[in-house]
Amino acid sequence: MGRIIEEIYVWRLPVRLYHWINALCMVALFVTGMYIAAPLFNPPLGEAVFYKGMAWWRYLHFVVAFIFIANFLFRLYWALFGGDKYARFGGFRPWSPSWWGKPFREQVESYLFLRSDEPNYVGHNPVAALAHFLFIFCGSIFMIFSGLAMYGENNPGGFSETLFGWMIPLFGGSYTLHFIHHLGSWMLPIYVIMHLYAVIRHDVVDRTSVTSSIITGYKHKVEEEPD
Amino acid sequence: MQRNQTFADVFRARGVSRRDFLKFCSLTSVYLGLSPSMVPNIVQAMENKPRTPVIWLHGLECTCCSESFIRSSHPTIEDLLFNMISLDYDDLLSAAAGTQLEDQRRRIMKEYKGKYILAVEGNASTKDDGVYCMVGGDSFLNTLKETAADAAAIIAWGSCASFGCVQNAHPNPTGAAPISDIIKDKPIVKVPGCPPISEVMTGVIAHFHTFGTLPDLDRLGRPKAFYKTRIHDKCYRRAFFDAGMFVESFEDEATRKGWCLYKMGCKGPTTYNSCSKIQWNGGTSFPIGSGHPCIGCSEPNFWDRGPFYQRLAEVPFLGTDSNADKIGVIAVGAAAAGAAAHAAVTAVKKAKEEKHDNKDKA
Ligand code: HEM
Ligand code: SF4
Ligand code: SF4
Repeated sequence: MGRIIEEIYVWRLPVRLYHWINALCMVALFVTGMYIAAPLFNPPLGEAVFYKGMAWWRYLHFVVAFIFIANFLFRLYWALFGGDKYARFGGFRPWSPSWWGKPFREQVESYLFLRSDEPNYVGHNPVAALAHFLFIFCGSIFMIFSGLAMYGENNPGGFSETLFGWMIPLFGGSYTLHFIHHLGSWMLPIYVIMHLYAVIRHDVVDRTSVTSSIITGYKHKVEEEPD
Repeated sequence: MQRNQTFADVFRARGVSRRDFLKFCSLTSVYLGLSPSMVPNIVQAMENKPRTPVIWLHGLECTCCSESFIRSSHPTIEDLLFNMISLDYDDLLSAAAGTQLEDQRRRIMKEYKGKYILAVEGNASTKDDGVYCMVGGDSFLNTLKETAADAAAIIAWGSCASFGCVQNAHPNPTGAAPISDIIKDKPIVKVPGCPPISEVMTGVIAHFHTFGTLPDLDRLGRPKAFYKTRIHDKCYRRAFFDAGMFVESFEDEATRKGWCLYKMGCKGPTTYNSCSKIQWNGGTSFPIGSGHPCIGCSEPNFWDRGPFYQRLAEVPFLGTDSNADKIGVIAVGAAAAGAAAHAAVTAVKKAKEEKHDNKDKA
């Protein structure tokens, strides 16, 4: 491996915190959500008052959901007002040719093995930015809105139902909303596979220490292998 | 049938005591979720207002709504209410038939222009000019549009009229469409259920009669008084749900003990109706009370959200029967296979480049 020629501080602490809290929350939400959909354990015969089987899993899902929401809002704040050039939305302009034109095409070509050099970005490359926008930004908003709409169902007229209840007719009824929330939760494992693969591959191919950067905050530029 | 009588006149003529009449009024106020102070308003309206003329049409339907209606829990009282609403036209129950009956409908439409209630049971076929539902020599689609034009308000009885029910389940060969898809310019109250509970039906009529307006509606156009909360939130088996104690097969001990039917496909958690509160047949029981999961009969498209005995609906996916988890697993598998293939190409390419580099050096 070549000598490190430059150390760049890319992911500041708020971004790293967000990343890991988000990762943990999503895994916890996926597991508890799947349990809600298909509760595995049946307690032995006995008095219902002594068991909290389902209530406990649902409670866990909701507690984690609110941490997830708070964390998401925090990241949104950081993107808009954090003044962090690698964490803001500023560069993401999918509507503008300057964004999806050359840089995006080059990155896609590189992923499709159509060009041999790897464009190198310090922050997110355009394809990664698009994936994050779709899966993390839109995906989270969808899971949060549908989740809060369902959360409000048992308290009509309450906060959640008043603000998010419109999701129910939008998706054609309560059952469909539950179904789509369930289907949407499969975004998580799909995203995790793609994300981990992309990160590890970049580490192997470009040696930019992108994997460790989300812990330490630093990416590296390395010198080419000495001949 | 005399149309200018009040409800109270009819009660008296039928020999119902004043005491029973007042009981009926307070019961109705309870069902409608009104405060006790509203009881005098109901009494007042019942005693003084002339009966509201109603035209009751039958389209593509099975008549279960009418069946439910005439089996209401207080036979003397509600059967009377049924007579009391000036049910001037009902092709199912009228003694008259044919042209005579159709003339009657047109006469009411003219005489009570803008004042009568149009109650619709069933929905209309819209494909091929509505030819799949012909009533009285015309398509039901035409009759519906014609009769709706001068109505004060429309009551969509049952899931058919409200959301489409079995007629517009996939693949909907007749193009059956709920009333709200056809009539856009009239207030419509949806009273879904297959059938709706009779007390709910009489409650909606009593409300219109008392206040002259439709009751408060929720986002899907259903009266809040009856459809505000889910079966699940009022279900007496909810304690077992929270405890995680579930029936796993209709033969197990849990069935005999009356545990929660969630794992048997109960749609109570996604169904808005009053079954777990008012119950059926005069409060005798309701499906879950008899050990059967709720099939969600008052929810939009419930026929396409089956199977009834499974929590997760089956949906067509790539031409096969599937469900959310199967689709998810396939997508995850595809992502993993894609990543593996990409990794393999990367490795091959890298190995080639290295060879190339070495050759250059040599
Ligand atoms: C990555 C995020 C999330 C994942 C993967 C996830 C996953 C799931 C799954 C699989 C279910 C079961 C659906 C079913 O078949 O009935 C579920 C239910 C639910 N989720 Fe989420 N969820 C997420 C976020 C949220 C959020 C942010 C909320 C907001 C409060 C939320 C609230 C709910 C509610 C209320 C239910 C229904 C519980 C019930 O029916 O008893 N979820 N979730
Ligand atoms: S039986 Fe159905 S409605 Fe009743 S608690 Fe269980 S899931 Fe809910
Ligand atoms: S319990 Fe469910 S399926 Fe049964 S009548 Fe009520 S809403 Fe319909």
